[in-house]
Amino acid sequence: MKKIIYYLLCGVLLLSACEKDSPGLAISVGGGAGQGGSLARFAIVGNYLYSVDDRNLKVFNITNAENPVLEATQNVGFSIETIYPFKDKLFIGSATEVYIFSIADPAKPQKLSSAISPQVITRCDPVVAKDTVAFATLRTNGPCGGLQSVLAVYNIKDITNPIQTATYPVGEPYGLGYSGDVLYVCDKWAGLVLFDISQPYQPTPINISINDGTYIDVIPYGTTLICWVTTGIILYDITDNRNPVLIAKIN
Amino acid sequence: MIRLLFLLSIGLYLSACNPNRSDITGKMDAYVPVYATQNEIQQVSVEAQQPTVNAAKIYAYRNYIFQNDLYNGIHIIDNTDRNNPKKIAFLKLPLNTDIAIKGNYLYANNYVDLVVFNIADPAKPQLVKRVNNAFPPADQQYPPFKNVYFVCPDKGKGTVLRWELKNIDMPKCRR
Repeated sequence: MKKIIYYLLCGVLLLSACEKDSPGLAISVGGGAGQGGSLARFAIVGNYLYSVDDRNLKVFNITNAENPVLEATQNVGFSIETIYPFKDKLFIGSATEVYIFSIADPAKPQKLSSAISPQVITRCDPVVAKDTVAFATLRTNGPCGGLQSVLAVYNIKDITNPIQTATYPVGEPYGLGYSGDVLYVCDKWAGLVLFDISQPYQPTPINISINDGTYIDVIPYGTTLICWVTTGIILYDITDNRNPVLIAKIN
Repeated sequence: MIRLLFLLSIGLYLSACNPNRSDITGKMDAYVPVYATQNEIQQVSVEAQQPTVNAAKIYAYRNYIFQNDLYNGIHIIDNTDRNNPKKIAFLKLPLNTDIAIKGNYLYANNYVDLVVFNIADPAKPQLVKRVNNAFPPADQQYPPFKNVYFVCPDKGKGTVLRWELKNIDMPKCRR
């Protein structure tokens, strides 16, 4: 079950009140550009900006916002792909391993556990966490293997010992996000898929079909659902969170 | 095991025969590097809004939405009138791959540099800081595809920005 730590890597915690971002999903976009040029990835926690590049974790103090100061560089490993803050931890993922750092002292990340090497999942998958529950889409296409992509639900009261409570088959899922008691899951085949999460450990699908583009990720932002699609952005009014209404497409 | 051998033989067959290759003209489809010099990479500017090419990471900030256009820059969208969201500018930022925002400041990478923009007026991001070589260069010595031919990069010509598929004489590099 420690694999959940791995799943947690790519996702994003939609916790901050007025600024939200989508996870740095490792998706190749377009024909001319590809993943080969993937560079830095960022996460801001408090007064610190953490970045990972090919092999290092760097800590920039941004207390003076206009003048980031590099305070620490730590060699983490090879082919680092993702950085994901969760509470007072940083999860740093490569294609094959996961490193967990404590940022209880934000200027000096401390490595807690060296690595987890999931045998089945060979790349990270998006996740969102809500209090003590985490939702992750486990995609099986590409290098991931497996028979069926699923939305997986975990009890994460103990982050080091997550317990899977439910799985639901989905087509080809990417990012996900929630607003109130509704979870939005991007599915390349079915479009935007909605789940009722009023019983968070046992979500139930909501019977509605929304398919206005190829969805990669979502940010529920107040009463607006911001969707990253392959052509740009689609916005929905989610005043009624179970019934998204198309506002606009931005290409 | 038989299936494995079968797959292997298919693989050998495919690698031996390139369907895009034309023996008549001697030309073939191969990837050609597109270079940029240090000066070109650091050409950061605020431009008029433009169509999205490689839609990437999104970031919501106040009534604004930022969307990374992979390797090109950042689209800035004013969502104040949410029934009528508008692209208001494009921040040209070569080889940008990620952004983060805190307060009135946007942090991004401009290839290997960390750059900071004041976005108090989101339509007019102002570059306030550049930290040179904050990140080591990515490996762009080959295109992000396998079983392809490509023109070997020449470091003297600059940094490889991207790869274009062209019909050219058979190049020396392959992966």
